[in-house]
Amino acid sequence: MNDLAFAGTDGIIILSVFAIIMLLIGYLSGRGEKNLHHSLSGYYLAGRNLGFIALFFTLYATQYSGNTIVGYAPTAYRTGFSWIQSISFMTIIIGIYLLFAPRLYVIAKKRNFVTPTDWIDHRFKSKAVTLLSIFLMLWGLGNYLLEQLVAIGQAVSGMTGGTIPYQIAVIVFVAVMLAYEWMGGMKAVAFTDVMQGIVLMIGIIVFLIGGLYLVGGNFSEVTRYVAEMEPAKTAVPPMEVNINWLSMLLLVGLGASIYPHAVQRIYSAQSEKTLKKSFARMAWMPPITTGLVFMVGIIGIMLFPGLDKTGSEQLVGLMANEIAAINPFYYWIMIIFFGGIVAAIISTADSVLLSFSSMLSNDVYGKFINPKASEHKKVMVGKVCGIFAIIFLLWIAWNPPGTLYEIFVLKFELLVQVFPAFVLGLYWKSLSGRAVFWGMLTGAILAGLLTWTGYKTIYGIHGGVLGLGLNFLICIAGTLLAPAVSKNKVLEEDLSAINLKA
Amino acid sequence: MEDRTIKEPIRKKWIWIVLAIITLGVVPWYFPDAAAEPYILGFPLWAFISTAFSIIMCGYLSWLCVNEWNIVEDQEEAERAKGDKS
Repeated sequence: MNDLAFAGTDGIIILSVFAIIMLLIGYLSGRGEKNLHHSLSGYYLAGRNLGFIALFFTLYATQYSGNTIVGYAPTAYRTGFSWIQSISFMTIIIGIYLLFAPRLYVIAKKRNFVTPTDWIDHRFKSKAVTLLSIFLMLWGLGNYLLEQLVAIGQAVSGMTGGTIPYQIAVIVFVAVMLAYEWMGGMKAVAFTDVMQGIVLMIGIIVFLIGGLYLVGGNFSEVTRYVAEMEPAKTAVPPMEVNINWLSMLLLVGLGASIYPHAVQRIYSAQSEKTLKKSFARMAWMPPITTGLVFMVGIIGIMLFPGLDKTGSEQLVGLMANEIAAINPFYYWIMIIFFGGIVAAIISTADSVLLSFSSMLSNDVYGKFINPKASEHKKVMVGKVCGIFAIIFLLWIAWNPPGTLYEIFVLKFELLVQVFPAFVLGLYWKSLSGRAVFWGMLTGAILAGLLTWTGYKTIYGIHGGVLGLGLNFLICIAGTLLAPAVSKNKVLEEDLSAINLKA
Repeated sequence: MEDRTIKEPIRKKWIWIVLAIITLGVVPWYFPDAAAEPYILGFPLWAFISTAFSIIMCGYLSWLCVNEWNIVEDQEEAERAKGDKS
């Protein structure tokens, strides 16, 4: 997106307006909340009091980033119709939530959990398991945050036609994000998500309408064109693609649902009712988000045939240029849309950063370095460490790696290894901490090695899924051989479903 | 099932069997090569059916969230109502 002729000064104006609105929301959500900075759950979980609108939009804007558009449309362009898998792998996440969120919500509220590690620690009381899962989760989060930082820069410099160079763009937006997050914590993140989510939703719909307009308004024509020029993109997918699809459902479903920031949204819900309602609405979002982006990518095949891999990564920018040239209405909508992409990236980055610093403050500092510190101090440590983490990641981000999608798969490979500990632990009383530790470690090593040596998939199955299979196997076999005998009354109570109500 | 008012999705097998069946419908492994045509609403036949299953999945999961999940809701809502009055 380096040659967007349509933007420039107008782009800078819209971006500045967005930045000011975000700062204002951050300021307003932090104002008058004295307890916000003195309590971990106040700052990181918005006092466990997010209502339906805020919770729904924060789930939405966090799950769907600017990458959903900028990265997925080119993928649809390159792979063709089999990329409708992006609807199903975003939907299945809700199904995986149903495996554990109902019970986790109750236990988390009862035991005042702040981070996902609190549950792992409460469940296994094992330093090894806790440390390893902190490492895996921070690794996944760090990589995810890095990806967002790279994306912010590309989107902004694209939108302003290079008027604002990549580095300055990132620094300005990261500063805005840090400022509102500092002022309002999770509350600011959730409220800015409402604005960012709405802009993203409208943006995608208008973008698709613009795209359809450019190809004469008939999607069937596009498909006929694609079938004629590149029949492989409309053909029934071969078996390996189908296996890969299934593997993608597992990897994204299991990985995205236990993202630390996703788990913390379960903790933040005001009540079971709001949580249920938000998930029920979220289940309908993939068709109108990734589904529409998929159609945009397919339309791109007809508008800009024959782009290579690097060229296709610019697809959204290229299309936006054409759409903006239709008339002044589309011109302004496209500028707002690009602002929306930036907003969507920020809304994901802020949540990831908040989660990252909560783990530094509550888990690393609060559990291992200085457990006796006051909550106020812990919150401060998290905020400051978060800033250092960002500086470090920015330093890496100046040399952005490969294409966006490839980094996206990488971050799940290790993170997903926490899944057995997290979910089996909720239901299986004799699950042993030792088996969990070795399963997690072996799974992570296998997944890491496969990715590292270039075997990202074997017969279409992702390295992370293979690692997870081994991980589950070790957890189950290890526990059956030497089951854990727990004398922990509190845990016993949490794990018996009948007591859930008490 | 001692306590009939508690509804937790993990405890009902049928929920997961139905989800697995829908998932098998989403992944287009069962189509012959000829299923690329006809086009329905601009989608190749196989893609149309797969998308239809994806939308069924959305509806099913959304329905499950509302109807098959109820652990502390009644208690929370009762407390909230009490809190509002006082």
